[in-house]
Amino acid sequence: MADDQKDAAVPRWREDFPVRWDDDHYLTRRELAKFLTLGSALLAGASGLLAVAGTRADTQTWPDSVIAGASGLLPGTSLLFRYPTEADPCILIKDGRGEVRAYSQVCTHLSCAVRYEAAGNTIACPCHKGLFAVEDGRPTGGPPTRPLPRIRLERREDGFHAVGVDV
Amino acid sequence: MRTREQGSVLFAGVLVMVATLVIIQLWLLTAALEALLAHTYDVLVPAAIGSLVLCGANGLLLRYVITFDATVRRGR
Repeated sequence: MADDQKDAAVPRWREDFPVRWDDDHYLTRRELAKFLTLGSALLAGASGLLAVAGTRADTQTWPDSVIAGASGLLPGTSLLFRYPTEADPCILIKDGRGEVRAYSQVCTHLSCAVRYEAAGNTIACPCHKGLFAVEDGRPTGGPPTRPLPRIRLERREDGFHAVGVDV
Repeated sequence: MRTREQGSVLFAGVLVMVATLVIIQLWLLTAALEALLAHTYDVLVPAAIGSLVLCGANGLLLRYVITFDATVRRGR
């Protein structure tokens, strides 16, 4: 009986619209504030993950790997090799003056494979005409803005060894 | 009624502050990602700490505004 009276007192349309009109904005704002704070927590978590990833990358140790065929390289030519893993293509360059340097072969623009152009003594990316200096790998033309990672080399009795990556 | 109007203004102000802090956090995350890709690792931890502090500030603002809301509702 009491339930019947209650049902009669509350119109049926009230079930579909339980929030008063003047409370509507208030309720929506509260939900938005909660949503924004949740987003804030997610952003803080993502920043924390980046910090962890950076800390791990900073303490990375590099393998020591001999570069086959590097000793017999002629001036003005280049040699491709893989370092530090088989999935990381690199290029070793012996310029016209006989100086040997090595860089990652992955263009810092959109990851195309760069190549050595002896005529201009430059490292070029054929995809978007990016250019890098042979001396230090800095971008000198085209869209790339970051230098090529440089491979640290050591010359030993058995030839050139790759011993690390300077990024 | 006056308290309710004040609460509405307060809520709007707090929302603007929270949104501003979230945008700053978004900028921090973008800068940190850029730094990670450029292998500049020394800015990542300060960026994460800054983001965490802003998140804490957002949490406090939300708590304050929900408490205020509850107080207003009880007073109706």
